[in-house]
Formats: sequence, C-alpha cells, structure tokens
Amino acid sequence: MTNKKKKWTRRAFIIAGGVVGGGLAVGVGGMMYVSKKIKEYTGEGFGDGSSLNAWIRIAPDNTIIMAVPRAEMGQGVYTSMPMLIAEELEVEMNSIKVIAPQPESPYANPFIVVNKPRDIYNGLSMMEKIASFMPIVATGGSTTIRDSYDNLRAAGASAREMLIQAAATQWGVDRSECYAQSGYVINKSNSHKLSYGELATAASQIELSEIPKLKDQKDFKILGKPVQRLDIPEKVTGEAEYGLDARVENMLYAAIRHATYHDGQIQSVANQSEIEAMPGVEKIVLLPNGVGAAVIANNTWRAKNAALALEFEETGDNTLSSEQIAKIQEDVIANNIIATPQNDGNATEVLDASDNVIEGKYNVPYLAHACMEPINCTVLINGDKAEVWIGHQGSSLVREGINAVTGIVLENIHVNMKYLGGGFGRRAELDMILHAAAVAKEIEGTPVQLVYTREESMRHEMYRPAVASHFRAKVNENGIEAWENKMALQSVGYSSMMRIKPTFAEPPEKDPSSSEGAAHLPYQMDNVKVAFGQMELPVLVGNWRSVGSSQNAFFTECFMDECAISVGQDPYLFRKKMLKNHPRFEAVLDKVAEISNWSKPLPKGKFRGIALHKSFGSIVGQVAEITKIDEKSFSVDKFYNVIDCGRIVNPDTIEAQMQSGIIFGLSAALYGEITFSEGEVEQFNFPQYEMVRMNVAPTVVNHIMEIDEYPGGVGEPATPPAAPALANALFAATGERIRSLPFKKHGYSFA
Amino acid sequence: MELIINGKSHQIDVESSMPLLWVLRDELDMTGTKYGCGVASCGTCTVMLDGVATKTCTLPVSAVEGKEIKTIEGVATEGQLSEVQKAWIEHQVPQCGYCQSGMIVAAEALLDANPAPTDEDINGAINNICRCGTYQRIRAAIHTAAKWRAEKTNLAG
Repeated sequence: MTNKKKKWTRRAFIIAGGVVGGGLAVGVGGMMYVSKKIKEYTGEGFGDGSSLNAWIRIAPDNTIIMAVPRAEMGQGVYTSMPMLIAEELEVEMNSIKVIAPQPESPYANPFIVVNKPRDIYNGLSMMEKIASFMPIVATGGSTTIRDSYDNLRAAGASAREMLIQAAATQWGVDRSECYAQSGYVINKSNSHKLSYGELATAASQIELSEIPKLKDQKDFKILGKPVQRLDIPEKVTGEAEYGLDARVENMLYAAIRHATYHDGQIQSVANQSEIEAMPGVEKIVLLPNGVGAAVIANNTWRAKNAALALEFEETGDNTLSSEQIAKIQEDVIANNIIATPQNDGNATEVLDASDNVIEGKYNVPYLAHACMEPINCTVLINGDKAEVWIGHQGSSLVREGINAVTGIVLENIHVNMKYLGGGFGRRAELDMILHAAAVAKEIEGTPVQLVYTREESMRHEMYRPAVASHFRAKVNENGIEAWENKMALQSVGYSSMMRIKPTFAEPPEKDPSSSEGAAHLPYQMDNVKVAFGQMELPVLVGNWRSVGSSQNAFFTECFMDECAISVGQDPYLFRKKMLKNHPRFEAVLDKVAEISNWSKPLPKGKFRGIALHKSFGSIVGQVAEITKIDEKSFSVDKFYNVIDCGRIVNPDTIEAQMQSGIIFGLSAALYGEITFSEGEVEQFNFPQYEMVRMNVAPTVVNHIMEIDEYPGGVGEPATPPAAPALANALFAATGERIRSLPFKKHGYSFA
Repeated sequence: MELIINGKSHQIDVESSMPLLWVLRDELDMTGTKYGCGVASCGTCTVMLDGVATKTCTLPVSAVEGKEIKTIEGVATEGQLSEVQKAWIEHQVPQCGYCQSGMIVAAEALLDANPAPTDEDINGAINNICRCGTYQRIRAAIHTAAKWRAEKTNLAG
C-alpha cells in the first residue's frame, strides 16, 4: 500500500474550498488535518486544552482527548479509532479519553456513500463532495475502519508534527533534531523532553503545509496488536450510560403505542379520560399522520401501563398474512423480475436446453433486530434550541430528525451521543427521533424520554426482508456449467432511504444490497444469471446486520453444497476447484479446512458443514461442527472461523466480532422468524422470538489471515456464513436439505 | 416503604405493584440495572436478592421489602472491582455491554453458590440473553473469576 502523492495539489485545495458552506465552514480532505479552522470542532465542551485538529485535543495534564464521531455499539470503535490516531501521534492508549463530537462535516463518513476509501492526499470525488456537504455522520455497513484507516492516521501524524515543530521552536533547534515518543517530544542531542500537554498551546498555532508521511506497517507499535477496549471498564460497573439511561433534571417518561396495522392510522383515542386519570399520567400525544400515540408520565412503568391501555379508533389492512406474502414471492419470481445484476453467458438457455438440471427453492423470513436496549430517545425542546440524548448510528440524522419536526436549525440541536445497547442497523432509522421530538414539542421545556417497550420494539420496526431465491444449475465433475438465481424481495435501500433521505432514494431495481453476496460470486462459472423482483408490501424493511448478505449467503452457499453433492464431490474441494482466479478466497477456504481438520473423518455422531462468503470488504470461511443427540436434536459444538480482512487493527476486537457475528447468524438460523397474521406481527417478545443463549452457544475457533491490503470491515462479515455452514452440517447429519429458515420450523432443536 | 439496596436504606413511595426494576431506574436513578424485555425472559434486569440472582422487571417492589438487594452498582466495594468484574476486563467480555450488568450479577450469584462451576453448571445457571453473543468469553471469564476467588480465599485463609 503506497501513497503515490504526498503533497496537496492545487486542485484539491480548490475542491476543499468549494465545499465550504453554511455553518460548516470547513474543507474536507487533506486540509482538515492541517487547517486552523478545523481545530474549532473539538473546542467546545471538551474541557481544558488545545485542539490540534478535529479529532485531537490535548489537556495541560497530558490527557489526550479524542473525538470519536462513530457510534459505539459493541463493535469497538471507541478503541479502534483512537488506535489509528495514537499510532501516529505517539501516545499511550491509557492516556486517551474519548468524547463524542457534534455531527459536523469533518466527521462525515463518505465511505458509506461511495463505498471506497478516501484519497486523503488528493481531495474528493464528486460523490464525496456531496457526501461531506450533507454531511452524513453515520456508523454502519462495517465502514468505520475502511473510512478512517488513512484519515485518522493522517490526523495523528499531523498533530505529532505540530507538536514536534513547537518543541523545536522552543528549543531553537531544527525539527530533525527532535522526535516524539509516548506523549513527549524529545531532543536527540541532550535528551531534554517536553510533554504534549506543555506543547499543545504552541502546537495548535502551527500551520502545516502538507500531510506528513504515514508510518510503514513494520513500524507499528499499536496497530495489529491486541488492545484492551477503552469502553469496557465502565461497562462492568454499570456506569456506562446508554440512551435509556439518560437522566436529566425534571424529566418525564413516555411510552409509545403504534397503530396496530403496518399501513394503519389512528384517528383517535377512545378512552382518553380514563387514561389521563391513570397514576402519574401527564398527557396523551397523538403522533403525526396517525402512526401512533404516546403517553407521558412520571415513570416509565406508569407510562407503559397507560400506553398499553389505550384504545384506538383506527384503520389499516387486517388481512396481511405470511401465507399471502409467500404467494406474492412465487408470483414475483415467475412474472415480475425487475433487475438482472449479473448475466454472464447464456445461463437460462443452457439450463432450458439441458435435461440434467438441479433446482432449489429457498426462502427466509422477516427478522427483527431485537437490540437488547429497547428503542428510545430523550428530547428537550426549548424555544429555538433542542437537546437530545440517544444512542444512534447516525448523529447527523439525529439533528435532521429533530429539525424536521421542530424546524430548529441544525447547529442549535445538541446531540448527546450515548452508548448503543446494540444497533445492527435498527438504530440508523429516524422513527424514534421523529416520535420523541413530536412528544417533546407538546411539553416544551421539559425533557421527555420516549421508550418503545420490547413489544413495540419488536412488532413495529424495519425488518430484514423476507426473501425467496429460486435456483437452477447444471453441474458436471469440473464445476458448474450454468447457474441461475431468481429472487423475490423488498429493497432495503429503497425502503430505508425513503424514510431517511427520500431525495436520494434510488428505485428498487438499482439497489445493490439486494444482490450483494448473490451476484458476482468468486466461483468460476461461465453462465450465470442473477435476477430479482420487488414485492410491494406495507411491511417496512431495513438494514439488518450484513443486509443482503444475511440471506444471500444462506441461499448461495447451501445451493453450492447441493451442486457439489449432486456430482458426488466433497463440498470443500468442489468450491476450491472454482476459486483458481481468486487466491484470497481460496486461501481462506484452505485455511478453514486446515484448522477444522476437514480432511480427517469426525468421530461417530459428529458432522460438519462449510461456507465461504465475502461481505463488507472481508472474506470469511466457516466450518460448523455439530453433534447429533437425537433424530432432530443437535448441539452446535464448534465454529471454525477464518477471516481475511486485510490489515488488522485490533485482533482482539476482530475475534470478538467473529464470535458475535456467528451467534447473531445462528439466532436467526435456529429461531428467527417474524410472521404476520391478520395484519399483525405474531411475535411479541423474546419468548416468541428466541435467541441463542449460553447453553446453545458454540465455541468459536478463530484465525485471522495476515494480509497486507487495505482493511475490510469486521462488524458484519461473520454473520452471513453461519446459517449455511450449519445447514450444510445438518444435511451431512440427516440427509435433509433445509431450504428455509429457521431450522426450528423444520422440527430441529438445539442444546 | 424502605428498601435496602447495596447496604443503603432508601425511602420510596410508589404503588406496591411497581416492579423493582422501575423503582431502581426511574425513582432512584440507579440505571445500571437494565430494562430488556419486561417479561422476565432476557435477564438484563438481574439483581441479587438475599444473594439469589433475580429478574426484577416483573417483581413487585412489595415483595422485596426487608430483603437485601444488591445491584451492579454494589458489586464493586469501596472502588475495588470484584474478581468477576476483573475477569470480565481480562477476557474483554462486553461488546455493546447492555446485558452485562445482569450477566455479572448472575455470575456473582453463581460463584457464591458454586465456587468452581463447570461449563455445564454455567450453561444451567446463566440463562440471560446477550445479543452480541459474548457467551464464549463469559464462560472463560467465570472460570477465571472462580480461580481468582479461590486464590483470594486461600490467601485470606
């Protein structure tokens, strides 16, 4: 990985100047590391000290305050982002204090829009300019490291050079006579040293002319080493504050009841006076457009009891059922394909002309995110100002949501970003912000914490879509001659953008997430057709950890197994044969076969299955190892997991995310199912929407490939292969090919 | 009504049917104990009641009067983390962390009752949900905490 251009070009400066606007008077791109203007962003509310740029503020006591604009939802960004800065800044991890800044433009995440790393030296592409104009300060799509890897190292290196220059000036020596180490600048000739705290004020006045050269990987002291997470100490004492833990003077609590039906509207509350007479109740608020009502009370329990007792006069479709949705799936695949993201060779013609075709009809249900922390948002509206307490994946969306409801200008909306008790895509939505703002507007001057009970969180959300995938393939002993996959789905990109930023919503046929992990597989196949159609349904769908790959890996990697078995070949060797043009995939597959002892037979009663999938820039291979207890009763003993995520930032976090992603995928595969009957979601709470618990959780044996390439994501890529690896193991054990999830629906149980 | 929480007395005036969870969170602002499901299924609201791990989201406050209540805020004593908490850091257990108050309290109660639990014992005793899937590290941390507790007892003995 080389940085070809070390200097700022004139063109880049002009582009950076071109995005200056509104109250966000900063450039984006390289200038942000070296410009004085950017220093203002860590200036307010962050305590004593001097800001060296938008990410770094140094206090007189040598505390290094780092602004982390991404949401900490368990994936470790409050540690990994500081690691990137600390590596170049030359400070110890234990000297760092993390703060969450306001969602200003330096903190935009262009990767989430353009899906490629920024070029820190050469400024911005047109799309990146647009992305930083808005700006989208958001966490999702496993983009944090991919967006920040060069960016934050440059921020750290720039600050380090400013500190060194300040010391050199103070000592009256050349900059080359000084070096930085562990929070000090040291004079080589006499070993005198000055702490960063002593130098920060002078350093903050220095203007650099270029971004310093970044370290070679061989010189890394922090990156690539296991680092203890900065957020964990307060997460073991109960002191860590989540959105729902916000406690503000004089605050009240509110609970929401959504309209019963997913396209429904509430006209009125039939028993208003009865509800208002309940203990602690202050007010009933009907939400805009009849989407629901909220009861404000002086305690969450009183508010939720009152909300539960609301009787609505409402309209809506009370006929929607899962059976109906299944019929629509069949119809869409047969008659209403709208996009063909891959069409190589003549797959359909080859298959139509062949009398030796294997077929597989797969489907998966809707899934809830089921974050442990129920959905919530706390808002105080005070005239032309607002304050928000929330754990959210998009701090800029928080401001935009409050603005949409109240008209309060963005810079007057202060966001207190809390820890997220799980995100998984659910906390990238606007609904809780819009609803909380509508409630707070009715009781101006009083902070209100709006909570969705677990039942409301589960029954009214933006689900992972139910998707059907119908395959045909022609297989011979050398591989797959033709592969066809037709899907019926609801576009997550379209559905979510229509809620978040409708002007940027692309039509369903242009949504790349629908076919991610289904089209352009690494396997060498000459005739491939992947196509999909859109189901028009009132059910809202959203980003759910690993998005399209969450279902597409199950479809493709199970059917790949079917292809292998149809010609009597080993599922690992069959895949390997088709990966000759993709050495990184082949290496991951080989490695997982090696660490799982794939070539050695298992003891009697044990079985295994394999899966390989790339998502979010990283390749993951898994082998599931299971024990048959009874005919349809199994224990999931082990998951062997290999990831190639390019350069490693924090290996301990990567391992944790592999364990996490697998359990998340297994909860869906074993139990996960949101179904509809008479227009309503049938699952209310965890007893009906079960999770993998301690007694079922397998041991994960993890291996991280050491690959010197730009980093990939790690928060999501372990989820997709878990279901197919297990399904392939169950096939090995039972001979039953399970083509729809969850397994419990087919009579399987796990212990 | 008087409640004894982490050794300290609190006077509260609420409906006798209010679950302990909401007394802790909304009346006393002790937010370390979490709301997760409200139906005593997920275990994020676990506290120790006379030493027994107990889910509090359906437990009426009237049922705990006179009992010794220990929440996550009372697990560390005089600023000293417990062996369980230290083991949680050693094994870097929490991810989002939301369930971990309940997990830690449940682990404390397990080790009080069974100083050297096997994996089977842990599977049987810890039934809380962790949506981030930290179970493997929780198991390892409980074994480590058991070891450290035993070492401490030996030193003291």
